[in-house]
Amino acid sequence: MPNWTKYATIALFVVALMMVAGCSSSPSDDELRQLQDLQAQVKRLEDQVATKKSENAALEKQNAEKNGTLQQCQSDQEAVKKAMGGK
Amino acid sequence: MKTTLSFLMVIALTIFVTSSMLGQEKMSRDEWQSEMTTAKARVAELQGQIAKLDSDKTVLMNQSTKLDADIKSCEDALYALIGVTREEAQAFEKELSDMEKRVDDFQKMSDAELTGHRDELERMQTRLKEMLGEKMAKIPRYADRIHVLQDKVAALLQSITKETTYTVGTWARNRDCLWNIAKKKDIYDNAWMWPKIWQSNRDKIRDPDVIKPKWVLKIPAGKELTPEEKTAANRYYRKKASAPSGQ
Repeated sequence: MPNWTKYATIALFVVALMMVAGCSSSPSDDELRQLQDLQAQVKRLEDQVATKKSENAALEKQNAEKNGTLQQCQSDQEAVKKAMGGK
Repeated sequence: MKTTLSFLMVIALTIFVTSSMLGQEKMSRDEWQSEMTTAKARVAELQGQIAKLDSDKTVLMNQSTKLDADIKSCEDALYALIGVTREEAQAFEKELSDMEKRVDDFQKMSDAELTGHRDELERMQTRLKEMLGEKMAKIPRYADRIHVLQDKVAALLQSITKETTYTVGTWARNRDCLWNIAKKKDIYDNAWMWPKIWQSNRDKIRDPDVIKPKWVLKIPAGKELTPEEKTAANRYYRKKASAPSGQ
């Protein structure tokens, strides 16, 4: 095989390798920014969900306490009525 | 020639490997697309959760408002029933709570510290008696709290009062033993104080398990055991533990 054919084969081989390695498509900078923005939005929303969950839990606790107060008041009323009626 | 060929092959391979590695660090379009889809789905899911949480909050707030109204109406009816105003009820509640806190503080004091507060305790005792006669005490919950406080104040005063006496009754009628005597509200209100009675009456009590009816026992002041009394009690417990069962 003449020398130039060998060099040509090698050059072809190198170019082919470079194309295989480097030609797969990747997202543009704008598209990457879009993804980053979306991921930041996810984080913000997750934080909001956590805050709202804890707010609701506090409200539930508060309502349970108020319910206890109401029941106590109702039982006080019954006891007083009973005591007065018994006199 | 062979050397040149090998050299070129090595360069080619190096370029291939480096390019591949660089390619791996950079996101591919497919990966980007997949991550975008996942993130969008997550955003939608979270927005749904937020909407549900907001709606739950509205329901809870409405419940809270209704409960406030119900409590107020119930309390108004209760106060009207016993003939007090809301302000009077609140003042009574505050006075009682303050007393409870004060008594808690007293209970943490040593006998020596407590002796300096005898007047306050006596005033408290008088006031509690008056409070029992007030309209608010018609509510059983308040009457119970006053009774509890009265017992605590009486026990505190007892602990700083000089020695008193106790005449032993019978086991059949009074269930009197040192443990039960110490447990009485007007003695120590604490059964574990029994060694104090034992040690103050060593002239009569040889065996703390044996006391006889009509004995007049000295009940010294105090609400804690002295080191000597603790030692005596420990000696007694050790003896009991080492004694064969049935003795």
